[in-house]
Amino acid sequence: MFKDLIEKKRVGFAEGFDCWEDAVRAAAQPLLRDKAIAECYVDAMIECIKKFGPYIVIAPDVAMPHAQGVNGVKETSISFMKVDRPVRFGESKEHDARLIFVLASVDNDSHLDMLQALVAAISDEDILAQLPTITCIGDLQKILLQK
Amino acid sequence: MIKVVAACGNGMGSSQIIKMKIDKVFKKLGIQATIDHMSVGEARSAASSYDVVFCSASLVDNFSCKNSRTKIVGLVNLLSDVEIEDKIKENNIL
Repeated sequence: MFKDLIEKKRVGFAEGFDCWEDAVRAAAQPLLRDKAIAECYVDAMIECIKKFGPYIVIAPDVAMPHAQGVNGVKETSISFMKVDRPVRFGESKEHDARLIFVLASVDNDSHLDMLQALVAAISDEDILAQLPTITCIGDLQKILLQK
Repeated sequence: MIKVVAACGNGMGSSQIIKMKIDKVFKKLGIQATIDHMSVGEARSAASSYDVVFCSASLVDNFSCKNSRTKIVGLVNLLSDVEIEDKIKENNIL
C-alpha cells in the first residue's frame, strides 16, 4: 500500500493549516494532479465531514477523509499527507490528526483490498508511532524497509 | 448468532474498517456474528433489526434507541482491537 503511494508520489508534507478544509484539499492534491479524482469529489468529502462531523478521524492522529464517490472518482486510490501541526477536525483533542489518508473508490467494493492493506499497516504500532516524525518520502521508505 | 451492523457517514470507509476489526475480535472471542455495514442514515432506520450497532463515537448521537433492545457501541479508536474487545465485554455482547 505505502509502496504504491511512494511509487506514484502520492505523498505530501505540510507545516499546518488554518482549517481542516484546507488540509483535506491539500491532502487530495496528488489525486487531483493524477486525475484519479475530480474537484467535485474533494467538495463531496468536505460536505460529508460537515454533515456527519469528525468521525473520519478513525484513530488518534489519523484522519481518513472520503465520500461515497461514484461521482468524480476515476481511479480507486489513496493519497497520504503528514502535517506537522495537528489539524483540528472537531472541538475535542481526540479529533486532532497529523496523518491524513484520502480515500477514493469508484464503487462500494473496489477499495476493500486497499483499505485492508492500509488498516494492516497503520494497526502496526511501530509504523503508526514513526509516521508523524517523517519529513520526506525517503523517511517513509526507511520505515517500510525496517519491516 | 448475533446480528451486527457497522455504520459510518457513507458506509464505505470507517464502517468497513469497523467491520474488518470486529470480525477479527469476534472470531478471537468465539462469538458467532453476521456483520453488515451501511451508512448512518440506513443504519438508523435498520437499527431495530440488529442486536448491536458499532460506529465511531462521534456518530453515536445519530441513534436514539432508548426503547430498543439494540445496543449502540461507539468506538474512539477504530484500529484498537483492545478497545473493541473491552467494549464487547462491557456491553455483554455474547
